[in-house]
Amino acid sequence: MTLQTEIESRVSSGLDNEVILSVQDVVVQFPRPKKKTPFNAVNGVSFELRKGETLGLVGESGSGKSMTALSLLGLVPIPGKIIEGSINLRERRIDNLPINMLRKVRGNDLGMVFQDPMTGLNPVRNIGSQLCESVIRHQKVSKSEATEIAFKALDDVGIPSARDRLEAFPHELSGGLRQRVMIALALINHPEVIIADEATTALDATIQAQILDLFRERLSNATMILITHDMGVAAEICDRIAVMYAGRIVETGTIEEVLSSPRHPYTMGLLSAVPRFDIRRPKLVPIPGQPPTAEDIVQGCAFSSRCKFTQENCAERPLLKKRDNRLVACWFPKGEV
Amino acid sequence: MTDREEKNNRINVDQDEKEDANLVTASAGDVETIPVAQQTVRTILRRLAELVFLLLFVSTLLFFLLRLTGDPAAILAGETGDQEQLELIRKQYGFDKPLYVQYGVFLMKMLVLDFGTSLANAQDALGLVFERLPTSFTLVLIAFTANLIISIPLGAWLGSRPDRTGRKLGSTGVFILQGIPGYITGLILIQVFSVELRWLPSIGNQGPESWIMPAITLASFQAPQVIRVISANVSEAMREDYIRTARANGAGFNTLLWRHALKNAMLGATALIGAQVSFLIGGSIITEVIFAWPGLGRLLVTSVTTLDFPVVQAAVFVISVFVYLSITATDLAFIFIDPRLRRQRA
Ligand SMILES: Nc1ncnc2c1ncn2[C@@H]1O[C@H](COP(=O)(O)OP(=O)(O)OP(=O)(O)O)[C@@H](O)[C@H]1O
Ligand code: SF4
Ligand SMILES: [Mg+2]
Repeated sequence: MTLQTEIESRVSSGLDNEVILSVQDVVVQFPRPKKKTPFNAVNGVSFELRKGETLGLVGESGSGKSMTALSLLGLVPIPGKIIEGSINLRERRIDNLPINMLRKVRGNDLGMVFQDPMTGLNPVRNIGSQLCESVIRHQKVSKSEATEIAFKALDDVGIPSARDRLEAFPHELSGGLRQRVMIALALINHPEVIIADEATTALDATIQAQILDLFRERLSNATMILITHDMGVAAEICDRIAVMYAGRIVETGTIEEVLSSPRHPYTMGLLSAVPRFDIRRPKLVPIPGQPPTAEDIVQGCAFSSRCKFTQENCAERPLLKKRDNRLVACWFPKGEV
Repeated sequence: MTDREEKNNRINVDQDEKEDANLVTASAGDVETIPVAQQTVRTILRRLAELVFLLLFVSTLLFFLLRLTGDPAAILAGETGDQEQLELIRKQYGFDKPLYVQYGVFLMKMLVLDFGTSLANAQDALGLVFERLPTSFTLVLIAFTANLIISIPLGAWLGSRPDRTGRKLGSTGVFILQGIPGYITGLILIQVFSVELRWLPSIGNQGPESWIMPAITLASFQAPQVIRVISANVSEAMREDYIRTARANGAGFNTLLWRHALKNAMLGATALIGAQVSFLIGGSIITEVIFAWPGLGRLLVTSVTTLDFPVVQAAVFVISVFVYLSITATDLAFIFIDPRLRRQRA
């Protein structure tokens, strides 16, 4: 059975809504100098996103979360590119669009919130002009209508005295407010899918909590991909979770399934050192060993060098398949622990 | 309040009201700024003070240098003058008094902008300088405008193409250009367009045709650096996070370059362009000499060689004022272009 039919056969977290975004076997490749074998930062990722669902992408640094997100918008940095797979937004294939069509998708159908609000806004242009630029590009409105839309967008994400902020420059706002502006910018054209890449990571804890509240309140019904290092954040916001390792999804399931009974040894590792008394905010903890780098050509399971349960079978790569009624890429998925 | 204090403050406020999701109040989110007008006044006053010191220093230096290298009475008397005439002239102009007395008189007169009359033709020195000003100004203005019109788009274009051959060729060209001294450029232009092709006049100000070569020569003092800085800044700006944000919102190449990257790139270039206006003023002296351009620079050079010190002093005074005007204008441009500079610095 193919991976695709595996995923399709699955009823997603009780949500039977229509599929909005469908990602199939996407490979993002970076060529390497001096004829070295190219490096696949994303190595065959597939998932589906249904209307109103929030999917969490978690995994260690370098596992390919950001590249997966960027590939959706056709923003993989040069010289990397998508060399395989397909991305469909509803029925429309968007990974091979010509650049002028792709620009109509960016910010209009897919809205992205990046990690660092301190550098993500143009320092020499005021907030209003940056918001209006995107509104005017995607909606047929006048300058003054755009300003009104920009005001509403700022107001909507809980920015106080929003009208005055239109005139403000990024440096005049605190980090938390700037991230709200970034979110307003991502939402301003009512995109069908919102992608938030570590949207709270750069903020200090209390501001982070406020932004998470904003996500929960304002975006509870949004169709969203939320990338995070923080299992606690994922637990609070996501309906489903996909754990990435070395460019692949190694386990996916509802948030309850994955957090309460992880099946993949890597997921277990991510969750294992979480202190019991702080179960609401478990953090990713380092797992001994290093993920494979571009230099390591791994034939079998990419996690085998760090896995406690490695056996002979593991020399062959396990696909993400329904095993034991859960989607997991491991020859020996664990039961309840 | 420093940035750090500001931040700490914010954190404290936030922690006090941890439970309140909407605690982001106006005061917590704002960073103090000083009004633009206040900064403008401050800048002008500071530069003015510097200018006063500079003028005092330069004119003092010139005064003693010129007096020690030549005898002004001998120049006035001309080649035919005998001893008696010299004595007469010395008395008349006060050259017989001790040097420090002469210096005192010179300073007092400078305060009321009286530089005396030219030793060559008895005309008012400052008047002579002002007479030449429009001619020099025309040249500098043409060169400056031409330079910006060409250098900024060219630099931006080169900078936006980090890995294409066009950029490599371009920067090599700029590099070579930069290595050629301005006076050589002028001489080459004269050789090609006046001597060989006979297309353009090589001396004097005889209308628009005769502006072309001096303007190119003068612009070549400034253009290569401007192109390089703009292109380096643009190529850096194009890698910034806000470019990615704009791209993720559907911005195309032209928006990214002209509306996002260039304005940031201009920030770093403003200082250079402004500072180079003073290079232009310096370069105009050389250019005026090469093309026999009847401007202030040539007047200065002639007066120095003939030790016509009232004219030298007047010319240096006026040139210094213009250099400082250009520097001050740069400062003010910064205040207006870079919103971050309006921020309070503790
Ligand atoms: N410009 C590039 N050239 C070559 N390799 C790159 C480039 N950008 C990213 N990579 C590689 O792609 C892999 C995936 O990176 P990605 O940014 O998607 O990781 P991530 O999961 O988002 O990590 P983090 O949590 O640190 O953000 C990394 O191993 C990285 O080395
Ligand atoms: S396949 Fe083998 S090595 Fe890989 S995670 Fe499962 S048990 Fe470990
Ligand atoms: Mg990332």
